[in-house]
Amino acid sequence: MTSTETRADRFVRELAELKIADPAAGRSALWLRLGAVLMAVGPVLGAAAYFMSHGTTDPLAQRDALALGLAGVCASVVGSALFLRYSLTGFLRFWMARQSYDLSVLADRLPEKEKLQ
Amino acid sequence: MSALLELRGVRASYGGITALHGVDLSVSAGQVVALLGPNGAGKTTTLKVAAGVHPADSGRLLLGGRDVSGANPRDLARAGVCLIPEGRGVFPNLSVRDNLLMMTFTGRGREEIEEIAFARFPVLAERASQAAGTMSGGEQQMLALARGLATDPAVLLLDELSMGLAPLVVAELYEQVAEIARQGVAVLVVEQFAAAVLDIADHAAVLVRGRVERRGDPDAGLRAELSDLYLGSAR
Repeated sequence: MTSTETRADRFVRELAELKIADPAAGRSALWLRLGAVLMAVGPVLGAAAYFMSHGTTDPLAQRDALALGLAGVCASVVGSALFLRYSLTGFLRFWMARQSYDLSVLADRLPEKEKLQ
Repeated sequence: MSALLELRGVRASYGGITALHGVDLSVSAGQVVALLGPNGAGKTTTLKVAAGVHPADSGRLLLGGRDVSGANPRDLARAGVCLIPEGRGVFPNLSVRDNLLMMTFTGRGREEIEEIAFARFPVLAERASQAAGTMSGGEQQMLALARGLATDPAVLLLDELSMGLAPLVVAELYEQVAEIARQGVAVLVVEQFAAAVLDIADHAAVLVRGRVERRGDPDAGLRAELSDLYLGSAR
């Protein structure tokens, strides 16, 4: 930054350097959906692995079923994490907005109460 | 100087209801632009789009000549876009000092922020330990402005600064806004009560039902036309 640079010049420079992500309004919703799908896929894979291992006496196929079962566990864990992350974010944003609103309503009421006393 | 803030053909909506029908607007450094219009004209939506808080359905938002449509509002705020919303947005149960302390996220120290705020609004120094919610509306608005200034804005977006304030207080606040603009900040002010802001505005635009119906210098002609535009008898 040069000493002669005005605020407007700095603003233009900083904006030029700004990395603008693609408009991603729907991205969090996408992750949330993906999380829910993975959570559902996990038990399905587990059940499939169970029936697969019980339907054969071939140890190789049973090992495949074992891998499938583990993949199901992974899918469930990752899905739960994604779902929690994105649903909690939404909830906490709402909670903060609610808190802010309640506080401002309370602040409006305080002077009214003082007037009544 | 080219425009620091520019809206080109911006359309925006809430669900199925279109609030802006192709709004064009620009604000240069050091300029105060007044965006006037009756209730529900789309003034606040225009500010929200300019701050990146509300997505535009179409059209472009340019800051410093760069197209930042769809950019994260946090990035825009970090670069120097400051929106002071209607209702001031101060924390009512925190003291003035603590409200200012919240602005240290910008990277500025507490002392520096207080110096900026108290130099411009000495009354805040007298009320430093007082809960913000117990101050008068004008003082709360001063605090909101001071918090905005602490972010070192290049573009200042003000929503209904005069809301619920006495005319003398409003005049004092707008004098401060003019002073801020003189320091090179691009200021876009949304106002329902035109008289309050036209004295300091360099340029004015009147928004009616999501369209800019009239724009130009805030001269007597525009003032005379305002009531017609507000009441919908123009055209």
